[in-house]
Amino acid sequence: MADSEFLFNMDHGYLEGLCRGFRSGILTQGDYLNLVQCETLEDLKLHLQSTDYGTFLQNEPSPLQVATIDDKLREKLVIEFQHLRNHSLAPLSQFMDYITYSYMIDNIILLITGTLHQRAISELLPKCHPLGSFEQMASISIASTPAELYNAVLVDTPLAPFFVECISEQDMDEMNIELIRNTLYKAYLESFYNFCQNIGGATAEVMGQILSFEADRRCFIITINSFGTELSKDDRAKLYPRCGKLYPDGLVKLAKADDYDQVQNVAQYYGEYRNIFDNVGNGPSEKTLEDRFFEHEVKLNVLAFQQQFHFGVFYSWLKLKEQESRNVVWIAECIAQRNRGKIDNYVPIF
Amino acid sequence: MMPVVKNMPSGPVSIFRSEAMTLAQLYLQADAAYNCVSELGELGAVHFRDLNPDVNAFQRKFVSEVRRCEEVERQIRFLMKEMQKSGVGTDICTEPPLAPLPQELLEMESQFLKYESDLKLINGNCESLAKHELELQELNVVLSMAQKFFNDPQSVAMAEAVEEVDDIFDEGTSLINLRSEEKVKHLSFVCGTIRNNNRFAFEKLLWRVCLANAFIKISDHDYYVKDPKTGECIWKSAFIIFFQGDRLRARVEKICNGMNATVYPCPDNADKRQSMIQDLVTRIDDIQQVLQQSRDHQYNLLYEVARIIEKSLIKIKKMKAIFHTLNLFNVDVTQKCLIAECWCPVFQLVEIRNALQRGSDKSQSSVPSILHQIRTEDTPPTFHRTNKFTVAFQNIVDAYGVADYQEVNPALFTVITFPFLFAVMFGDCGHGLLMFLFALWLILREKTFSKESNGEIFDTIFGGRYVVLLMGAFAVYTGLIYNDVMSKSLNIFGTGWKFPSDLYPESVVSSTKQISMDPQKTFTGNPYPFGVDPIWQLALNKLTFLNSFKMKLSVILGICHMLFGVVLSLYNHIYFRNYVNIIMIFIPEVIFLLSIFGYLVIIIFYKWLSVTAFSETKPSLLITLINMVLSIGTVKKDQLLYKGQAGVQVFLVVMAVICVPWMLLGKPLYLYYRHKHGYTRRGRYSLLKSSGTINADDDDCLLNEQPDETPSFEFGEIFINNAIHTIEYVLGCISNTASYLRLWALSLAHAELSEVLWNMEIGKLIKLKGIAGGFALFGGFAFWAASTVAILLVMEGLSAFLHALRLHWVEFQNKFYTGTGYLFQPFTLKVEYWNEEN
Repeated sequence: MADSEFLFNMDHGYLEGLCRGFRSGILTQGDYLNLVQCETLEDLKLHLQSTDYGTFLQNEPSPLQVATIDDKLREKLVIEFQHLRNHSLAPLSQFMDYITYSYMIDNIILLITGTLHQRAISELLPKCHPLGSFEQMASISIASTPAELYNAVLVDTPLAPFFVECISEQDMDEMNIELIRNTLYKAYLESFYNFCQNIGGATAEVMGQILSFEADRRCFIITINSFGTELSKDDRAKLYPRCGKLYPDGLVKLAKADDYDQVQNVAQYYGEYRNIFDNVGNGPSEKTLEDRFFEHEVKLNVLAFQQQFHFGVFYSWLKLKEQESRNVVWIAECIAQRNRGKIDNYVPIF
Repeated sequence: MMPVVKNMPSGPVSIFRSEAMTLAQLYLQADAAYNCVSELGELGAVHFRDLNPDVNAFQRKFVSEVRRCEEVERQIRFLMKEMQKSGVGTDICTEPPLAPLPQELLEMESQFLKYESDLKLINGNCESLAKHELELQELNVVLSMAQKFFNDPQSVAMAEAVEEVDDIFDEGTSLINLRSEEKVKHLSFVCGTIRNNNRFAFEKLLWRVCLANAFIKISDHDYYVKDPKTGECIWKSAFIIFFQGDRLRARVEKICNGMNATVYPCPDNADKRQSMIQDLVTRIDDIQQVLQQSRDHQYNLLYEVARIIEKSLIKIKKMKAIFHTLNLFNVDVTQKCLIAECWCPVFQLVEIRNALQRGSDKSQSSVPSILHQIRTEDTPPTFHRTNKFTVAFQNIVDAYGVADYQEVNPALFTVITFPFLFAVMFGDCGHGLLMFLFALWLILREKTFSKESNGEIFDTIFGGRYVVLLMGAFAVYTGLIYNDVMSKSLNIFGTGWKFPSDLYPESVVSSTKQISMDPQKTFTGNPYPFGVDPIWQLALNKLTFLNSFKMKLSVILGICHMLFGVVLSLYNHIYFRNYVNIIMIFIPEVIFLLSIFGYLVIIIFYKWLSVTAFSETKPSLLITLINMVLSIGTVKKDQLLYKGQAGVQVFLVVMAVICVPWMLLGKPLYLYYRHKHGYTRRGRYSLLKSSGTINADDDDCLLNEQPDETPSFEFGEIFINNAIHTIEYVLGCISNTASYLRLWALSLAHAELSEVLWNMEIGKLIKLKGIAGGFALFGGFAFWAASTVAILLVMEGLSAFLHALRLHWVEFQNKFYTGTGYLFQPFTLKVEYWNEEN
């Protein structure tokens, strides 16, 4: 579909322009340097006013809460995303729907876990990510087995095809929920990956990079987290998304891994992952594996903007903005708790 | 203190150059600073410089005050939103209040805090009451629906049918024989309300979860309620669900819960339901009364706030602006005074001093606030005082680039040249008149229109109403010259051509289609006194005649315009004492322009005056100009205009050629020579600026200028700059002259287009006879009028405007205008400027 690039601007040019405009509003290193100097949350608000965020906090009464900032950041992002979604044409609209599916998975898992712990559904709903909300969400609590969940609720949602593999699970306990989550995610990632490959062109290239990394990251994390649990190696191998660079050789080796060192050995075979694992430590000034993964993700997402005429920018912009929200909230949290020691542990974007 | 400024203007300042500015330092006593800044803001004549550009917004001195102002602003916004919701209008204050004293902040804070909390309390009450009322209303709807349902045998039968199927599955056939009434009672049911947009999903989910074992009936009568919290309308419907058994009940309830459906208790018995409905009616009445009372209370409060809110908003905004300005200042080491730096017009120094005095008096400060001027190498901002007439023209110039400090401001000349050049392209009496009248209407209703924004496009046109007025007036004038009124001509003075009947007898005239007129016999010798003779309207060679005329006219106008631009550069050179530029740039530029293109203008006039239809030779000017350069020294016989033409032309070409190396090398070589001999005197505002820092010396009122660093001399750079300028000028003279031909091209296009419109839409219809012709003309005229306005006035007008703009920006202004200055932006508290800022 190489010719799609010539006609790209006809259907999606305006939205790409908007998206790139939003991207220019992402906070820079200079902004972060100013933010970490803030003494109070009011200072933070004042500085954010001079950035692209503008007056998004102006109607909040003082004193500000970190939670309010978090909510408002998310609200702004969601409004922007939905604006783009509402104006998009196929296949971009489909692509953007795919992005929301991951939030839907998170929401479902959140709701099931919540019901498992006897929380009222009205208490759980506000905690769900608005990008992943769907009509039947609130009635998840009626399901007590995965089959019921599928038949009653999920069958009408776009997640239905991803869920088919999970129906065989018997009951819902913590372990199974985690398995459901990972199976769902695996199916979702593979489907999204194929979807992007079918679109072809620069989208396939850029999104291929990003989604492969996403898949591999999940493989690593699943493996590391499974140590010391009752998850069998066979079951674990079933959870690995098979669209990353680790597939197939790396996954076979990962499936056999027994401890962290063996995982690290697998990573040694792959240039970019070796770098990530090499600089990891648990000390206060050292970065955790999670942070290193985030950094790499940011790098890939920033690179997505180097090419034109593809959908990857929409995904990357959303992910970068999310990282930015995490950063701002982290800084706000440090300021609010008067714990400035770790304030520099945000992940800079530009 | 002595002002250290030369050239103090004695009278009001003209628009020819931007106003003389001076950098001044203000020493404000800490307690008087606020009042002084407030007075200066009301005056609106000083442009403060940020003295702490490296300090973060939140680390400045008055940041807490700014924040407090913002908090009050937020409360005001909240109150205004509430007013909008309840439809309470605010009092518009005609007289904007002055900036409040700093003490008033505390008062306003407590006042609005009280309003806010009161209102929130009342709103909370209203909300819970409204919610309660809503529930009762909904219960009423649900009960009536249930009542109706049970009275309707058909629907009961449907429910039974579901039940029967159920029974077969559940308990075999044992219950089939029971009587229907009992059966319905045997079923359990739940009723409630659901939002309309959830209806479908709700039904579907119910069907899936209960495996078709529940019967749902949703009322066809939907109704809307107002959400007590947000006030928006929601459409809802009542429903009733039948099912059997407790397990299903639990599920149904969960679904209702999940889909945001509200479930209401409903008695099984019809009598109970009836009495409950009656009971409800009285309860709803009661609660509505209470609700009305608290609404009244809310309105009273809002009306009270409405009286002051607009005023308070302006006050708090002014206050915030003042604190923002104070944040730009430096704090003195002793913490007793604030130091500010500002640019101010020399002309208004006295007013500024008075304002400072008033500010100090207001705060009863013992030590007066001090203003003193400092000398600086920094370029002052550009400030042109405009009025409602000149502002549009100034904007036209500023859109290209803000003038350098005190350089000649082209806006002054643009006032006339712009509409004129426009009109040359738009020359049509009728269209010009329409445009003029439109602008006149805008001007007469100026006061109404300027009050509020009427959309971006209209505001743009309205802003340029005086430009449009002049454009229209000039178009009427050029239209008279071209003798063109919507493609027709006026015969005011009587044509200068005669039509003797002996030469052209009636029989010949009526039989031949075209008659060639011999000027020797038919021209009366008295030319038409003003503009083009109307007889040309009938001529077949009208275009050839007008083209030659308009083309020459464009060249003449263009060269005059450019020459004028070059002359204006002389004013700049003299004013900035840049004498090198006069000798090395201005003089060769003028000679170059005049010797080739000036000569062209002269021979155009010469040809108009001397060559007539009776002349033997009719030399072409274009060929004359080309041969003047290409075959120097020879003029062909048939191209000869006057005696000695060859010699004059050789002289002129040689002059022009000499000018090129003069311009190219003169200035760089002179500067190089001067540099070698250590000659450092510079003009008043040298073109090579060094950003000198200001050194405040408190002991001495006269501030010492930092010793100038001698600007580094780079011969290569100067030479290249000069070479670029020279090439641009020499080539520009040719290409710009050609560029002015657009005057001809556009006026031709305009005239042709208006003729086409006439011929296509009216010309034929007007010849039709009888009633049908009348109707046809009626329709045709509407068509013609609409396309005249849309195509000729709007589209052609815009295109001519654009070309006039280009001729000014490029062809005219590149002869003298630098346009790299920055605007004077005074700190002002005048309300009318706010909308532009925000």
